[in-house]
Amino acid sequence: MVMKDLIMFNALNIDSFDQSFDNFSLLSEERKEAFANFKKIGIPSKRDERWKYTDLKNDIRDINFSLCETNIEIKNADFDKLEVNEIDYFINNKDLYFRPVKCLNDEGLIYLNLSYSNLFKVITIRETSDIPVIIDIESFGEGMSFPRILINVLPGVKADIQIFNRGGLGFINQLIELNIEKNSSIHFYRFNESSSIHSETFLSYLGYNSNLSFTNLSLPKNKSRLQVFNSFMGESSSAELKSISIPQIGCKDDFLVHNNHIESNCTSIVGMRSVLQKEVECSFQALIDIENKVKNSKAEQDCKAILLDERASMNAKPEMKIFNNDVVCKHGTTIGSLNKDQIFYLNSRGLNKASAEKILLQGIISEYISNNSPLKSFLPGSYK
Amino acid sequence: MKSFLKIKDLSISVEDKSIIRNLNLKINKGEVHAIMGPNGSGKSTLSNILAGKEGYNITNGEILFCDENLFELNPDQRANKGIFLAFQYPVEIPGVTNINFIKTALESNRKFRGLEPLKPGDFLKLIKKKAELLEIPEDRLKRQLNVGFSGGEKKRNEALQLMMLEPSLAILDETDSGLDVDAFKIVADAVNSTRSKDNSMLIITHYQRLLERIQPDFVHVFIDGSITESGGPELAHEIEENGYERFNNV
Repeated sequence: MVMKDLIMFNALNIDSFDQSFDNFSLLSEERKEAFANFKKIGIPSKRDERWKYTDLKNDIRDINFSLCETNIEIKNADFDKLEVNEIDYFINNKDLYFRPVKCLNDEGLIYLNLSYSNLFKVITIRETSDIPVIIDIESFGEGMSFPRILINVLPGVKADIQIFNRGGLGFINQLIELNIEKNSSIHFYRFNESSSIHSETFLSYLGYNSNLSFTNLSLPKNKSRLQVFNSFMGESSSAELKSISIPQIGCKDDFLVHNNHIESNCTSIVGMRSVLQKEVECSFQALIDIENKVKNSKAEQDCKAILLDERASMNAKPEMKIFNNDVVCKHGTTIGSLNKDQIFYLNSRGLNKASAEKILLQGIISEYISNNSPLKSFLPGSYK
Repeated sequence: MKSFLKIKDLSISVEDKSIIRNLNLKINKGEVHAIMGPNGSGKSTLSNILAGKEGYNITNGEILFCDENLFELNPDQRANKGIFLAFQYPVEIPGVTNINFIKTALESNRKFRGLEPLKPGDFLKLIKKKAELLEIPEDRLKRQLNVGFSGGEKKRNEALQLMMLEPSLAILDETDSGLDVDAFKIVADAVNSTRSKDNSMLIITHYQRLLERIQPDFVHVFIDGSITESGGPELAHEIEENGYERFNNV
């Protein structure tokens, strides 16, 4: 068997594939096809540019290839204005099963998810609602899980979506797609406190004049990665991503964003703020990709990391691939400890060192999470 | 009269470069002292030293504030004991609203003095009143601290903090720079209104115009890290007219 990585899949082969788990008789041909592609590509390694800061192969080496219990619960939604489907949606829309790899055909983890996805939710938001759609994903125990969520937002809809990742002791390979049709606007909030090794791929497809505002609060209790691929498929679409990362001591958090400007007049803004304690490692990889025929693009990347300990580390790799001159781009990265002049200024008003540091950190966080944000209540106490 | 601030034989260096040399200065309660000197003479270093900024080597001397050794106090302790530095270049602090910051600073100050925090309503009333005196619009109180403020707006904000915290020793480091004519009058008059027999001021400035509105009791000429001559307000007039040449030769 020609397979790039046999470390964790040595008990599996293509013939026994669909007997591996219950319910895998559904979409078995598609799964086999995905698995065949996965075999060619394998688990990402640090040799892959996108994965240079994430040693997934090594991280998941000892995890048993058995499914762990995972629940996806949709709460507090205005169910009159949306529709929820499960695997049956893909049985009836097989072409959409493979849509992620049409955008990204060299990512082993997506093929792996397509091979083994065991939990499906397809949410179609038909009408605007003030009530947010809350998606709670919780894993229990050891093993692996492959949740897949597709959210379709129909034209002209405004909605808030909140997604929460919690729990687990194994490996979560999660795939989320957000298809925003023309003139729609989405506020997407993500909260991550997963205790699993968590790898999440988020793909958005932005239609004409659509808008995505994505705020991420990541407080991983293990090694965690979020990779976001935004495809600006319609003119005048825009996306703003703000990510805050405060990993727990000894943990790791990687954030990768690719903004692919396929059409003209689009705007992409990406920012990361991270506060790193001892033995914590973070990375920020962001790519602005503007194609040749694409005009009047605006793109920004910005990363600020505060190292609170000598044993904390941050890698930042901003990249631009721009093939058209009609573009306004900017990027900036700051990595360091808290600004001494700012601390002195606060001290000089009577605030002691600890209070001054706390205020400065709160200030950094509040640039992205305002008092009204649904993520505010999930911030650790000292940042509120 | 009991000496409020006493600087005795103070010498300061930075990376082996001498900045302050054998400085002696006494400020009593209720007095306003002005320090005038050319660029690079060490005036701002003196204000930073008084406020407790790190990075300076104290090679000789001492500073007593209310008979307490200032060098044994952290910057926050100095502030809570009544020393306030109005910065020449106030820093921007993103994400922290102006009003919340001033409230936190005032609470810290009151706690240190054994006072209860002001009730939210009383605090709001007080800050609005002071802001009105300085012609600071209410929306600026809700903005992030100094972020995007013009030079003049920053200086007004420093004056607002001074008025809210009511320090016993206010050090004004070139508070007049960056202010247009109208703003200058507003800020100078507001600062002057805080003057009382119980507090003192040390004004660092290049220009006599500030001292016309905040009349000093003493003017000191600061050249090359030390006071070369002291006198009354007439000294400021002389500097305004003739510059520092005469003092360079002292």
